[in-house]
Amino acid sequence: MGCGSSKRIKRVPGYEDPNVLAAETPFTVSEVEALYELFMKLSNSIIADGLIHKEEFQLALFRNKNQRNLFADRIFDLFDIKRNGVIEFGEFVRSLGVFHPNAPVADKIAFAFRLYDLKQTGFIMREELKEMVLALLHESDLVISEDAVETIVDKTFSEADTKGDGRIDPEEWKAFVSKYPSLIKIMTLPYLKDISLAFPSFVVRTEIEDSELCVDGNGD
Amino acid sequence: MAKLTNLNAFDIISLSSGFDLSGLFVENDEKKEVQFTSTHTFSSITSKLGDIAQNLKLKVKKQGGLMKMEGTSGGRKGALAIDAEIFEFTPSFHLVELRKSSGDTLEFQKTLKQDVRPALKDIVWAWQGQPHQQS
Repeated sequence: MGCGSSKRIKRVPGYEDPNVLAAETPFTVSEVEALYELFMKLSNSIIADGLIHKEEFQLALFRNKNQRNLFADRIFDLFDIKRNGVIEFGEFVRSLGVFHPNAPVADKIAFAFRLYDLKQTGFIMREELKEMVLALLHESDLVISEDAVETIVDKTFSEADTKGDGRIDPEEWKAFVSKYPSLIKIMTLPYLKDISLAFPSFVVRTEIEDSELCVDGNGD
Repeated sequence: MAKLTNLNAFDIISLSSGFDLSGLFVENDEKKEVQFTSTHTFSSITSKLGDIAQNLKLKVKKQGGLMKMEGTSGGRKGALAIDAEIFEFTPSFHLVELRKSSGDTLEFQKTLKQDVRPALKDIVWAWQGQPHQQS
């Protein structure tokens, strides 16, 4: 399949040149190309449009396109940088870049803060923390007393909110993470280190991809 | 064995499967870690894990909140070793993470399916990603 000059290639919306993405993320060009393979699989799983919709994201994470989850929603929203309701290829790579083992810790800390700032006010509020704890308990099918929940939330919140103003700001969050580094454990995906090993044998070609899209077959 | 009791609210939240992006990359049977919740006590859980390790002829080493179970015979990628980490929500509700720390992932998954999961049946409340089964 000859792709010719890039001007003639029809790309999915939100596609960005792998060289640009490699320069701006911890990924190499061949890793970005492997991520493209993955992205095409995920983004065409329900609606074959080369964009990751919420249902496709849920399908990938939970093997159930209808599984709702507060935290998956937060991740989806943060990956959707343009806030147009879908995750495009460029957004996918840039967002995953933060989860790379070599990504700067400061980026991971900042991303986690935005994840937990449910209403995007620039602060993590006590009610938001409580809402998240309740969501996790519900997800685990665990019912514990209101008192126990309050105790857990109080203990954490008072320790993090060193200025005592009823909310956790980015500075307090950074200090809190320094004290408890496991808090950003979720921000690193070891799978990303082996991404180009994981996807060479992975071949998914949908009808759309064959007729309308053109993947540059020239390796690195 | 010291247990991780200093779980703060953010640690608890981070246990959500919504944050587990590994599903984007691998099928369930290729994952290198699994989690389950248990309504049993810490000592009941460690005791059960110890029994399993013994049956699988794995050597047990305890390192803080971590229980390391190490095989001695070499497989395709070296001996299988599994780490078990136990997190306490309350004295009667724990989350346990079982991770492959070395060896072949396929062998890890096979061991889980054939040996570990059946043996843990009595103490598991729910495996991650699956609803609690009413027995």
